[in-house]
Amino acid sequence: MSIDFDKQVERTAPARVPALEVRGLVKHYPGVKALDGVDLVVHQHEVLGLAGENGAGKSTLLKTLVGLVKPDHGEIYVRGERVRLRSIVEAADHGIGMVFQEQSLVPNLTAAENIVLGSEGPGVRRGIYRWDAMRRLAQEQLDKIASHIDPLARTDTLSFADRQMVEIAKVLRIEQRSQHPPVVILDEPTSVLESKEIETLFTQVRRLREFASVVFVSHRLDEILDVCDRVAVLRNGESVGEVQVAGTVPADLHRMMIGSTGSDDHYHDNVVERSDEAPAPRLTVRRLSGRTFRDVDLDVHAGEIVAVVGVHGSGREDLCRALFGAEPTTAGEVTLDGKPLDLSGTRAACAAGVGYVPAERKVEGMVGPMSVADNMTLTKQKARCSGPLVSPRKQASLVDRWIDRLSIRTPNRGTAIQRLSGGNQQKVVLARWLVGGDIRLLLLDHPTRGLDIGARSEVYRLMRELSNNGVATVLLADSLEEAIGLADRIVVMSDGRVATEVACPAGAKPTPLDLVKEMV
Amino acid sequence: MSTPVTVKPMAEPVVVGRGPSLADRLTSFMPVIALLALLTALTIADPDFLTRRSLTAAAFTAAPLIVLAAGATLVVLCGGIDLSIAAMASLSTVFLALWLPDLGAFATPAVIGVAALFGAVQGAAHVLLRIPSFIVTLGGMSIFSAVALVVSDAGTVPVVDDSAISWLNLYVATYIPMSVAVAVIVVVAISLVIKATPLQSWVRATGYSESAARLAGIPVDLVKIGAFCVSGACAGLAAVMLVSRNFSGNPSMADNLLLPAVAAIVVGGTAITGGHGSLWRSLTGALVVTLLRVGLPIVGVPSAWEQILYGAIIVAAVALTLDRSKVLIIK
Amino acid sequence: MTPPAEDTEDTAVVAARPRPRRAVSFRDAGPTAALLVIFVGFAAWSSQFRSIDNVQNIMDAAAVLAVVTCGITFVLMMGSIDLSAAGVMGASALAVALLVENNRNGNDLGLLGIALAVLLGAALGAVSGLALVLLKVPSFMTTLGVSAIGLGLATLMFGGVQPNISDKMLESWATERILGFTYLTWIAAGCVLVGWLIQRYTRLGRYAFAIGGAEEVLALSGVKVAPYKVAVFTFAGAFYGLGGVMVTSQLGAGLVQAGEGYDFSAITAAVVGGTLLTGGRGGVLHSAIGVLLIMVLTNGLVQVGVSPYWQGGVQGLIVVAAVAAAVIPQRRRNQVVK
Repeated sequence: MSIDFDKQVERTAPARVPALEVRGLVKHYPGVKALDGVDLVVHQHEVLGLAGENGAGKSTLLKTLVGLVKPDHGEIYVRGERVRLRSIVEAADHGIGMVFQEQSLVPNLTAAENIVLGSEGPGVRRGIYRWDAMRRLAQEQLDKIASHIDPLARTDTLSFADRQMVEIAKVLRIEQRSQHPPVVILDEPTSVLESKEIETLFTQVRRLREFASVVFVSHRLDEILDVCDRVAVLRNGESVGEVQVAGTVPADLHRMMIGSTGSDDHYHDNVVERSDEAPAPRLTVRRLSGRTFRDVDLDVHAGEIVAVVGVHGSGREDLCRALFGAEPTTAGEVTLDGKPLDLSGTRAACAAGVGYVPAERKVEGMVGPMSVADNMTLTKQKARCSGPLVSPRKQASLVDRWIDRLSIRTPNRGTAIQRLSGGNQQKVVLARWLVGGDIRLLLLDHPTRGLDIGARSEVYRLMRELSNNGVATVLLADSLEEAIGLADRIVVMSDGRVATEVACPAGAKPTPLDLVKEMV
Repeated sequence: MSTPVTVKPMAEPVVVGRGPSLADRLTSFMPVIALLALLTALTIADPDFLTRRSLTAAAFTAAPLIVLAAGATLVVLCGGIDLSIAAMASLSTVFLALWLPDLGAFATPAVIGVAALFGAVQGAAHVLLRIPSFIVTLGGMSIFSAVALVVSDAGTVPVVDDSAISWLNLYVATYIPMSVAVAVIVVVAISLVIKATPLQSWVRATGYSESAARLAGIPVDLVKIGAFCVSGACAGLAAVMLVSRNFSGNPSMADNLLLPAVAAIVVGGTAITGGHGSLWRSLTGALVVTLLRVGLPIVGVPSAWEQILYGAIIVAAVALTLDRSKVLIIK
Repeated sequence: MTPPAEDTEDTAVVAARPRPRRAVSFRDAGPTAALLVIFVGFAAWSSQFRSIDNVQNIMDAAAVLAVVTCGITFVLMMGSIDLSAAGVMGASALAVALLVENNRNGNDLGLLGIALAVLLGAALGAVSGLALVLLKVPSFMTTLGVSAIGLGLATLMFGGVQPNISDKMLESWATERILGFTYLTWIAAGCVLVGWLIQRYTRLGRYAFAIGGAEEVLALSGVKVAPYKVAVFTFAGAFYGLGGVMVTSQLGAGLVQAGEGYDFSAITAAVVGGTLLTGGRGGVLHSAIGVLLIMVLTNGLVQVGVSPYWQGGVQGLIVVAAVAAAVIPQRRRNQVVK
């Protein structure tokens, strides 16, 4: 993949050594290059933004910086000194700490305990708690960020924003460990905050700059430009450039994140002409409400791919699972080909010809130790049984036929699915819904997650073939680019509701920025 | 609808993960090896052991254990555990002893049916109330014991006319005790039914990965309730065997079979984490445990060591067969 | 901590939602209210029940269970389970019977004998804990195994002849009274106090609590949890050991079955008191309420004429109901329950 944007900023020679520097970081997982030569410099007393699409490698990079992931190659320097970070404790010893996206506080302990957890110092003497000392230690930390939280409040009684303050206070404890200004990594800290809380957080981030360096990760580019001094952009596991925030607009960043915009032909644009007389939609959803989504209306026609996009907490994952009966609904009506669809459980959905490919393939999509054949025929019993009995011959010929048809690379049908590569695993999971020959609606929750480009492209082709054969598809794509490339229509969700719908025909595709506007 | 889909194959390694290692294979044959080693050792320690009499005695002891373990194995394969089997069997002995005079030959199916029903109720409580299986069955154990105490008035219920169940004490082909034959038939029958129907993949999928099984549209709840139901029925059958040997029912008759049964399951190599294992393995495990039981006195070890050995074996066998990739945090 | 091969940063992970604020909830106040209601109910029903003597009986009968429950509470707080109480109590009951003045041997170690028996309990607890953290065997299996080992040890020590104790001090525990309650009851009260102090003021207690709350966070904060887990099981074992000693004092003899039923009763009491089996909630004081609740219920049912054989059955129903009630707020579809 070519880099279209040269590094736009000359690295101004810093007056002092950088607080943190990363050179040539490489991390491979089986079948995936998570990091492919990442360089990053964090100067002292700087807020560095980190931007990138989903799957660009941000998470892996951050985990590497705090010792949770061991890189295959590359060097990490802290204040000019090369270090090896083998655990989160070692990272803390070097003054690097992270505020995790999913908060990492013990909910049933007090805020004070959480702040000093693991380095209680004078708070605990010979195993005995000194609650006074502990509260004082915690108060010191909270004072640094001018927070008024009661240190002895139980953490799970605090609001989300307050807990985030507790986490920041906790991370700042590493100052005591390393005796240096710390590097604080904030991983998507704003994703579930209200706008007022975000303002408070930004005040804190600016305050942190006085005595620490900050790496700030967010999906919201306007926030990054608001609070950071400089932004580094990752794409497909590579550093693609850096910009100073002054004079940069979100669109510039976004272009860097998604790279060349005209190269989505590998998504196989829809080629089939849709007949003009609009038949009744295959799936109709009317005012469907659940835990995280409300009053959702959605139509999907046979042969159509509808992508649902949205940020964290938009409710699209729960909506997708609800359509499969795997998530409770509170109100609304859903019909499939005119008949009401029973959402009480997954079995009813399967029987009605609905298929679901979950995002967590290894946990929810497949049964790892079981064979390819068993995984493929778990759902559709008629396809492999004669009467109530499994017919081994029928099963074998069916499975072999689909292995052949989808070019699934496996030694044989008896191989445990966990031994296949991710792309082939995903093809088996998809085949599970196809072997019955009665699939009418496919719900694809991040079907290409964790797959390399080759495997992705195969899954795209398969999806396209299926839709050309009349299967209706609801897609939660891994990236906006993917959604735009594959979908006939895009539904944008925001805060649990459908914000807007964008037609997405071949040749007149919207740009990611058109969608981003509606998402936030 | 046939979906003509063609996808160009990619150049990538065919197989990513490692296959089973030599150690894994050895572990999977461990029960058989242990069984043979025990037989050999016992024969050396006491050359008379391989006579018909002592083997028959061992077989009679083994029969109820095999049945108990076989039933509970299904629950373990689904990823749960049934700690109530022994108490259920004890309760069933009391029921059988009480019902034999009135129901005669029908007492046996009645007892098995009631035990199956109780098992199913436990399964339903586990599934519907979302209570961990070990706590449901621990509660069940306590309740069954209480019921047994109450209906038997905390005493032994003698069986005067055992003609309806004495057939279990006959011999097949003059050498094989009927109860053992029945136990083996039960194992074969359950295994065959599972193997020949989609149940095999349903049970294993439920045990290996319940959420994946549910999202594949498998009736996970029914599978689990069914497993508990079969487990209960097997406890009922074990009770029939016990009554036929002891000519009485007692509210604590089978209580000391819980540990041996759990030991049989885990020694057989069925993983306590679910999915991996089989009824055959539990049959082998039950034979190993039985040989230990009858063998320890032969080599002159006080029977008190039996308990200690069960304890150690359970922990060691679970440690060997546990699927650690599944549980990141072990509680 | 093996992160999955995929980046988990994107939108599929539903963001952690703010939890609702919890004030003093029904779960905290419920058991106490239930205790009062049941007590008042039985007192109104049965004149036998409301006599001073009977209240003393209830307290004295609760002593052993209180001690055992105190120990098991710490294990449950971590989210583990302990089925070893019966075995450990049997072993320590026999050990103490053979170590203090008795009819089987010439030992007369007195207090030292009691301490050794408690130590034996602690050692068996340590075995459970070590098997858990070293062999990674789930605690319900390790403790089931250790329970069998304890019973085996007890049977070995029993050796066919029941050891009757003649140690004056140990005998006096069950018979002598201060302020109307036996020494055993005061010992139990002391244990509850000690347990509460440990839970509140020591790293062991707080970490046990935290392990039940979010074990992975402790690891992320650089705390090595394994030693604390072993320590908690050891500590619980010591409490069971003391429980075994107390039973021996009550019976005047060491019996293998000294702890029979206590494992289950203790779990019941803890759960009824508000300790969650998933860990991270409840505590020693909750469990003490649970113990009283169980004992009042048991005693009351007997007083109003229910067969004592139903005792176990009632406990079984209670524990299932209590656990079911506790998980209702957390139920989700497609949730895995083993």
